[in-house]
Amino acid sequence: MRSDKPASPALWTAAWAVARKDVRIELRTRYALNAMVLFAVTTAVMVSFRLGPLGVSRDARAVSTLAVLLWVAIFFAAMNGLSRTFVREEETRTVALLRLSTPPLAVYLGKLLVNLGLLALLETLVTLLFVALMNVRIAQPGLFALTLSVGGFGLAGATTIIAAVVAKADGRNALFTILAFPLLLPLLIIAVEVTEIALAGTGWSNALGGLRVLAAYALAQTVASLLLFELTWES
Amino acid sequence: MTSALKLSTGLWLAVVTAAMFLWVPAHEGLGNVGRIVIVHVPTGWLTSVAFLVSAIYSALYLRRGRAVDDAKALAAAELGLIFSVLATVTGAIFARVVWGTFWNWDPRETAIAVLMLIYAAYFALRSSIEDVTRQRRLGAIYALLAFITVPFLIFVIPRITDSTLHPNCAILNTPNCEGLTLAEGGRVIGQVSDFRLELKAVEQVGSITVTTVEVRNPDGTFATLRPSFDSATGRPVAIERVPDSLRELQIKQLSGAPGSQTIELALANVGNVGLLTESRTLITFFASLLGFSALFVWLWSLRAGLLSMHEELQAVG
Repeated sequence: MRSDKPASPALWTAAWAVARKDVRIELRTRYALNAMVLFAVTTAVMVSFRLGPLGVSRDARAVSTLAVLLWVAIFFAAMNGLSRTFVREEETRTVALLRLSTPPLAVYLGKLLVNLGLLALLETLVTLLFVALMNVRIAQPGLFALTLSVGGFGLAGATTIIAAVVAKADGRNALFTILAFPLLLPLLIIAVEVTEIALAGTGWSNALGGLRVLAAYALAQTVASLLLFELTWES
Repeated sequence: MTSALKLSTGLWLAVVTAAMFLWVPAHEGLGNVGRIVIVHVPTGWLTSVAFLVSAIYSALYLRRGRAVDDAKALAAAELGLIFSVLATVTGAIFARVVWGTFWNWDPRETAIAVLMLIYAAYFALRSSIEDVTRQRRLGAIYALLAFITVPFLIFVIPRITDSTLHPNCAILNTPNCEGLTLAEGGRVIGQVSDFRLELKAVEQVGSITVTTVEVRNPDGTFATLRPSFDSATGRPVAIERVPDSLRELQIKQLSGAPGSQTIELALANVGNVGLLTESRTLITFFASLLGFSALFVWLWSLRAGLLSMHEELQAVG
């Protein structure tokens, strides 16, 4: 068709098709949704047994504790839910077909889109659970939402490519958390700090440096994934 | 040629070790434990170098697909793990003696812990794959993915998190930052760990409060220090080093009107202990760096050669 503008509209159409296919499969089995929702609920309930009043506590460490627990819930729920995106393609033997019919970049972008959507749902749920069960007061909701969005972007970028790597390993799921954790530790450390600022309400100016690092991290991770995905997909 | 290199590296490192204990003088504040820097810092640096080498050869492998490049990347990663263990253990000993704790999540400790986790994950990934080509390719991809997180660790985290071993007492209350509260016209003498502090005078210069504090060292000597605090910015202005110790005295907080102020003083551990300012220590340090680098190069080529040989043997039979 239009040869002067190659691939790019077709790429997004293909990526969108991959995303829609994955959403449809997800809605049929609800594997990732179930895993993530149940993990989030379990964590929040378990933590709230003893730490429920932490949100209204005047303890100086309360805010740090809440920020850490929030990200623990998000991280492990994401590890549970997002690990199977590519493994499923291997198990159902749909890899070859997908590889023939779709450019690799479109596969990556489609899966990334689905993971972003799932993470957005997860983060909303975890936040609601923490607000309800732990009496968390968010002093700066705007900053809080931005932190979770940027942090979630980085989390999705890294987990998507790791999921692709893990799907090619013979161990499959077992390695997922082990591989993802070291890559995500810088992101998690900074995300916890900025979340702490948002919960305590110490101001945008304190959070700006951290937010910039989060954004840079998400960007670097996504660009590297775009470059390395094709090699992973074709091995 | 290689055996000459091997022998001279061994001799060189033996001389460095002897010099480290016999020639280098004990650090005036740290005592004998200061010597550990001669092993600790080069191994720490080489951990990062090994990681860089591993990432470069991983990229080369992905580009050219030659098994030799992968062998070099793997060998560098293995050495990186060994050196990171050495750096961590020597660092932990140092931290225990000087700061009173083996591990403290100082930014550099965080960075090396993540580096070790990355190496461990890299080996776990490789060992989980049976197909050799796939093992190499996924290993290389993971090494590169891990590599882009490293600048964030090395350059970003120390600037963002509050370093706990180099405490700013205005922000942190850690075991390294002990304090007491004295007041004009109230309690003027107090004890912080082994130091006795006596508030002698308080002067006001604009928004800056300058205090005169007499410090009695554990060995019985006295020193007079003048830490100051700016109430306009809420931060200490002058932070004074207690002579012959690794402590610094600063004002953490001020309250009350001039004339009857309550002063919260803090004694914190000194961050930069100036280990390498002594010339013999510096020379031995660079000799050690050279020796460990040679050791690294030798072990790296040896291991990469072995891995390639293993590959050829398998191909033959």
